[in-house]
Amino acid sequence: MSLRRLPGEERLLAYAAGTLSPPEAVVVATHLAMRPQSRAWTALGEAVGGAILDKVDPLALDAGARDGLLARLDTAAPDRTQEIVKGSDPTLPEPLRHFPLGPWRWRGPGVYSRDVLGPRDGDCRVILLRIAPGQCTPIHTHGGVELTCVIEGAYATQDGVFEPGDFEEADASITHQQRVVSPKPCLCVAALDGQIQLPGRLGRWLAPFVRL
Amino acid sequence: MTTSRDFDGCVARIARDGDREAFVLLFDHYAPRVKALLVRTGSSPVAAEELAQETLLKVWRKAHLFDPSRASAAAWIFTIARNLRIDSLRRSDRAVYAEDQAPPGDDPPQPDAILSGVQDGQRVRAAMASLNPDQAQAIEMAFFHEQTHSQISQTLGVPLGTIKARIRFGMMKLRAFIEREAGGLS
Repeated sequence: MSLRRLPGEERLLAYAAGTLSPPEAVVVATHLAMRPQSRAWTALGEAVGGAILDKVDPLALDAGARDGLLARLDTAAPDRTQEIVKGSDPTLPEPLRHFPLGPWRWRGPGVYSRDVLGPRDGDCRVILLRIAPGQCTPIHTHGGVELTCVIEGAYATQDGVFEPGDFEEADASITHQQRVVSPKPCLCVAALDGQIQLPGRLGRWLAPFVRL
Repeated sequence: MTTSRDFDGCVARIARDGDREAFVLLFDHYAPRVKALLVRTGSSPVAAEELAQETLLKVWRKAHLFDPSRASAAAWIFTIARNLRIDSLRRSDRAVYAEDQAPPGDDPPQPDAILSGVQDGQRVRAAMASLNPDQAQAIEMAFFHEQTHSQISQTLGVPLGTIKARIRFGMMKLRAFIEREAGGLS
């Protein structure tokens, strides 16, 4: 199979349906903000959602619900459009600006990460990863699915080069190493499910340092 | 019989004139359907009732952001309900999904005929009817009970790869159908 740098149609449908976990949805949303061509699939998925909504058997609302709502129509909506989230980074792609960020932490030579605070699902969470030119993440496999979207710079795996907006999906069957091939650091957003397991002796040695 | 196009017009009338009659038409059609869809998505009846009302309140408040050249009223209302449900599950008002359609001109140009095709609800329904039953079932199940693909696979007793392939091919078929019907602009 050729290298795929976009989310699969089934994942974009799940995004449109609202069934992805929040961490996965944030990484897919970042990709969509950077790659409008994938929005064709989510627009299609949302259109399907509309078609399903139109044909579902209606379920009556409580008596008085409509009058109650009509009475509320003229109350002003809280205006949150200008609100800036404290601790967020306004230079990130739009979907990541909604969340405060944790501090940068050293994860190994040339590798730093910080938490994107908020979107969680059990063990699954969102991190930003910044890797210096020429540096690698430690070789790792995944307990579950890992989704990554490149924001700046580029990295290569044995499968090929990933550039800004590119989306990579790795699951438990994949052992991989990302090496930064851009002249500037590579910044990525990733949804991690479970702890990254580092294989081999190097992994055991690094494990205390690289608990991503 | 009110057609889906009339509902698009209702949203426009709310945006233009604050038309309460148009709102009542939308409420009577969509509030009970949003409630039903939310219950089928796993919300409790009480939560579904509240979210259905909040959805329609947002329809009123955000009507000026609705762009009938990009989505049908049904699809737009679906996304409002979807976002409210997700944010209520997370007990957070920091949205995971982009809140509204961006105003026109704010967006890079969109690549395909698909976007000029999906705004017609009738065409989308015709495309759905063109799918084979397995594809239609896999796609529809992706919307209910917060089903992951693995859960759909278990429910149907069909391998995960088969479910993904049905969704993938079904989506491609929908897209091809809609692009062809919309005049194949791409």
